[in-house]
Amino acid sequence: MADRSFSISRLPGFGTIAVAVFVMLYAPIAMLVIFSFNAGDSVAIWEGFSLRWYPEAWANEAVKDATWRSLQIATCASILATTVATMAALGTTRRRATRGQSFVYLMINQPLMVPEIVTAVALLIFFSSIKVATGYQGLGYLIVAHAAFCTPFAYLPIRARLEGMDLSLETASADLYASRWQTFRHVTLPLVLPGAVAGLMLAFVTSLDDVVITLFVKSAGQDTLPTYMLAQIRRSVSAEVNAISTLLLLLTVVLLTAFFLLTRKRT
Amino acid sequence: MSDENAVEARAARKIYGQGAGAVTALDGVSLLIRKGEFFTLLGPSGCGKTTLLKLIAGFESPTEGQILLDGTDITYDPPNRRPVNTVFQSYALFPHLTVADNIGFGLRMQGRPKREVADTVARMLALVRLEAMADRKPGQLSGGQQQRVALARALAPSPKVLLLDEPLSALDLQLRKEMQVELKRLQVETGITFVFVTHDQEEALTMSDRIGVMQAGRLLQVGDPRAIYTRPANRFVASFIGESNFLTGTRDGDTLALGAGPRLTATAMDGAPASGPVTAAIRPEQVRIVQGGGEGIPATVVRSVYFGTDTHAVVALTDGTEITVRMQSPASGDAGLAPGQEVRLTFEPGALIVLPEVA
Amino acid sequence: MSGDPQQAAAARRGWLLSAPALLLLAVGATGPLAIMLVYSFLEPGDYGNVEWALSFEAWFNVILNRDIFDGTLSFADAHLSIFWRSAKLALLTTLFAFVVGFPTAWFIATRNAGARTALLFLITIPFWTNLLIRTFAINQIIRNEGFLNTFLLWIGAIDQPIVMLYTDFAVFLGMTYVYLPLMVLPLFAAIDRFDMALLQAGYDLYASRWQILRHVIVPVVKPGIIAGSILVFIPALGAYVTPRILGGGRNMMIGNFIELQFGQGRNWPLGAALSVVLLVLVSAALIVYTRFATGGDKPHG
Repeated sequence: MADRSFSISRLPGFGTIAVAVFVMLYAPIAMLVIFSFNAGDSVAIWEGFSLRWYPEAWANEAVKDATWRSLQIATCASILATTVATMAALGTTRRRATRGQSFVYLMINQPLMVPEIVTAVALLIFFSSIKVATGYQGLGYLIVAHAAFCTPFAYLPIRARLEGMDLSLETASADLYASRWQTFRHVTLPLVLPGAVAGLMLAFVTSLDDVVITLFVKSAGQDTLPTYMLAQIRRSVSAEVNAISTLLLLLTVVLLTAFFLLTRKRT
Repeated sequence: MSDENAVEARAARKIYGQGAGAVTALDGVSLLIRKGEFFTLLGPSGCGKTTLLKLIAGFESPTEGQILLDGTDITYDPPNRRPVNTVFQSYALFPHLTVADNIGFGLRMQGRPKREVADTVARMLALVRLEAMADRKPGQLSGGQQQRVALARALAPSPKVLLLDEPLSALDLQLRKEMQVELKRLQVETGITFVFVTHDQEEALTMSDRIGVMQAGRLLQVGDPRAIYTRPANRFVASFIGESNFLTGTRDGDTLALGAGPRLTATAMDGAPASGPVTAAIRPEQVRIVQGGGEGIPATVVRSVYFGTDTHAVVALTDGTEITVRMQSPASGDAGLAPGQEVRLTFEPGALIVLPEVA
Repeated sequence: MSGDPQQAAAARRGWLLSAPALLLLAVGATGPLAIMLVYSFLEPGDYGNVEWALSFEAWFNVILNRDIFDGTLSFADAHLSIFWRSAKLALLTTLFAFVVGFPTAWFIATRNAGARTALLFLITIPFWTNLLIRTFAINQIIRNEGFLNTFLLWIGAIDQPIVMLYTDFAVFLGMTYVYLPLMVLPLFAAIDRFDMALLQAGYDLYASRWQILRHVIVPVVKPGIIAGSILVFIPALGAYVTPRILGGGRNMMIGNFIELQFGQGRNWPLGAALSVVLLVLVSAALIVYTRFATGGDKPHG
C-alpha cells in the first residue's frame, strides 16, 4: 500500500496526538511499577534494583489483613452478582421486548448512572441504622454493597452473549425430546457459561478496585487493600504502596487478558 | 382415524395477543396429511403456514381446534413428547456441540444406548454425506453443510413426521436447487412424511406430492402440483402460483362472452356462478399468437420482450384488456411481432378456467 | 378472551428469574437512595447521624448561610465556590478529554484489524485498572519531590520545584488521565461504524480536510461524542478519590464536601441534601444526553 500518498482517512496531527496519548497513559503507571523495584525510599530517584518492598509489604500485618479481606469480599460479591445477573439475563433476553424488561434493565444498570459518592452516602445512612438495629458489624454489608454495584458488570457480557444466540436453540432442543431440565443442562448452561465466567471476572475486578463505597460502608477495622492504600498515600509516600499497586495491576491485567480471550469472537 | 393420515388439523385457530391488538394467524384450518407424502404448505409471508407448522411441532398450542398425529390427539402435548422433528429456518444448530453431537442430541435426550446413538449418527452422516465433518463445530461449516446437519439431526430420531420451515431460504440459488433434489431423495429413501413450508412456488411445484395453498390464515386449496397449477381454485391461487391472465365476461353454460367480442369455450371450476358476470383465468403459455388472419380472437400487439428461451408478448384485446403471451423464441430470436400489429389468439379447450367468484 | 397463556407464562418466568437481581439492587443501591432523601429533611444529631424531626435547614444550607446571631440569610460562598469548582473542573476535563480522545479514537479506528484490537486492549487496561493506583501514579509524578520536578531540577530547567500537587490543575490533570478511556471507547465505537466512503464523497465534492472533519465526520459521529462526554462528565462531577489525592484538603469538589458532612462536619442531613443535588445534576445531564442521542442523529437521513 502506498502510505505516503494521499490517504483518505488520515487527518493531520491525529497520529501524533494518539501516540502522545498512549505514552501519557502508560508512562505514570510504568514509573509506578519501576519504582516499586527501587532500592531506596524515593519514588523519584533511582537508587538501584531491589525486591525489598515486596517482602516488606507482605510482612506488614495490616497489608496481609486487608488483602485477605479484599479477596474475601471480591469472591463473595462477584459470585453473588454473577448468579443474580445470569438469572436476570436469562429472564430478560431472547424474548419479545416488554416494558417489564426495560425496567429490569434500568434497575440493574442503575449503579452505573448514579455517582458512586451518592450511592456510598445512601448506603452509609441505610446500613448504619441496620447496624444499630441488629448489632451485626460483619462483612455482609460490604458484600451486599459490592455485589449490587458489580451486578451490571456481570450482567452486560452475559446479556451480550445471550443476545447473539439463535432464538430457536431451546426450541430445537425441546423438539429433540429434551425435557426442560435437559435443555437447561445441555443447551442453555453450556452456551451461557463463557459469558458468566467473563462476567464473574469483570465483577471480581470491579469489586477489588472499589474505594468510595467501601470507605463509607466499612465498619471500624474493615480496611480493604484500596482503602488501606488510600490511608497510606495520605500519610507518607513509601514504595511499599508501589509494590502493592504493582501486584494489583498484575492481577487486573491477567484477569482482563483472560476475559478478552474468553469473549473473543470465534472465527 | 384412518391409517392413511399422518397429521390431521381440525378447525385449528390461532390468535396472538388479545383485545384490539389481537391478530388471527390461523383462521380455522382443517387439513389431512397422508403418511409418507411430501406435503408443502405454500403461501406468502404472514399467511399462517409457519404457525400451522408450530402447532404440529408443539411449539405453540392452538387457541381452538385440534391437532392429531396418527389419529391421536396431541394438541397439548409438549414438543419433547411428540415424535415429530423440525428443521429450522435458522438451522438452530447448537454452536457448542460438534456435528456428530448435534445429530445425536435427540437420541441422547431420549436416553437411547450409546451404541445405538453412535450407529445412528454414523448412518445419518453417511445419508447427508458429511462423514468427514463429524468432529467440526457448526461455525466451521458452510451454509449448505449446516443445512444438511440440521436435516440429519432432525431425521436421526426417526420421527413420524419431519417439519421443514423454509429450510432453503438462506441458501443461494445454485445450492438451493441442489438441496431441492437432495431433500426429495432423502424423503424417498427414508419414507418419512415431510411437511415443508415455503413461499417459493417453484420449490413447491418441483418437490411436493401435494400442496396446500394458504393465504391470510386460511387454507385455500389442497391438491397435487398439476391440479393446483392447471385448476386453481380462485384468483389468488391462479396468480400466486405461476402467472395468469384474468378475463371478465358473462358466462353462459360452457361459453364465456367477452363484452361485445367473441364467445370462448371455458371450463368452470366448482362453485363458479352458472351464469352472469364471471372471472376467468388463462396461463400465458397456453395462449398462442397466430399471425396473418384465420381463426381466433382479434388482438393488437402492444410490445414484445426477448427473454432468451422465451419471448413475452403483451397484446390488447378489442376491449382494451391486456393479455400476456409466453412463447418459445424462434431460432432467429425474432418473433416478428411489432407494436401495433394485428394478430389473432387461440388456445386449447380447457385452458380457460372460470373461477368460483363473481367478477 | 383467551389471552395468550404461553406468553403470560414466559413473562412470569422472566420476572421470577429477575427477582433476585432486583432484590439485591433494591437493598444495595436503589432503596437506600430513597432513605437518603428522607434524611435530607431531618435535623442533624450531635454526634453524627440524625434526630427524627422534620427540618428544611439542610436544604437551606445547600446554598444559603443563616447568621447564627441575627438569623439573616446570605449566600454560602464556600458552598457555591465548591459547586463552581466541581462544574468547572468536570467541564474542562470533558473538553480536554475530547480534544485528545477524538484523534486517538480516530487513529485506532483507522488501523488494520490486528493493530486495532491491540490498541483497543491498551485503552481498556487503564479503564479497568484501579482508579486509586492511577491517581496515585500521577501524584508520584507531579509532587514537589516527584519525578517531574526532580528531573527538571536535575537538568537545570528550574531551581525551585514547581508546585503542582494540591492545585486545581492537578485535579484537572488527574481526572483527564483517569477518565480518558471513557471518552475514547464510545468515540471509537462511533467512528468504527463510520462509513469511510463518506470521506471519498466529501473530497470528491471539493471539501478540504478541515471541512471534512467539521461537516462530515463530527456530525456523523455525534452520538459517540455525546456518549463519551456524558461518561466523562458524570464521574468527574461526582469525583471523590482524584480530588482527595491530588487536590488535598483545600481544593475540594462536591464529593469531598459531601464526605466532610459525614465526618468532621457531623451534618448528615446536609450531606444527604448535597447528594440529592448531585444526583439531580447528573440525572439532568443524562436526560439531556438521551434527548440528544435519540433526536440528534435523525436529521442526517
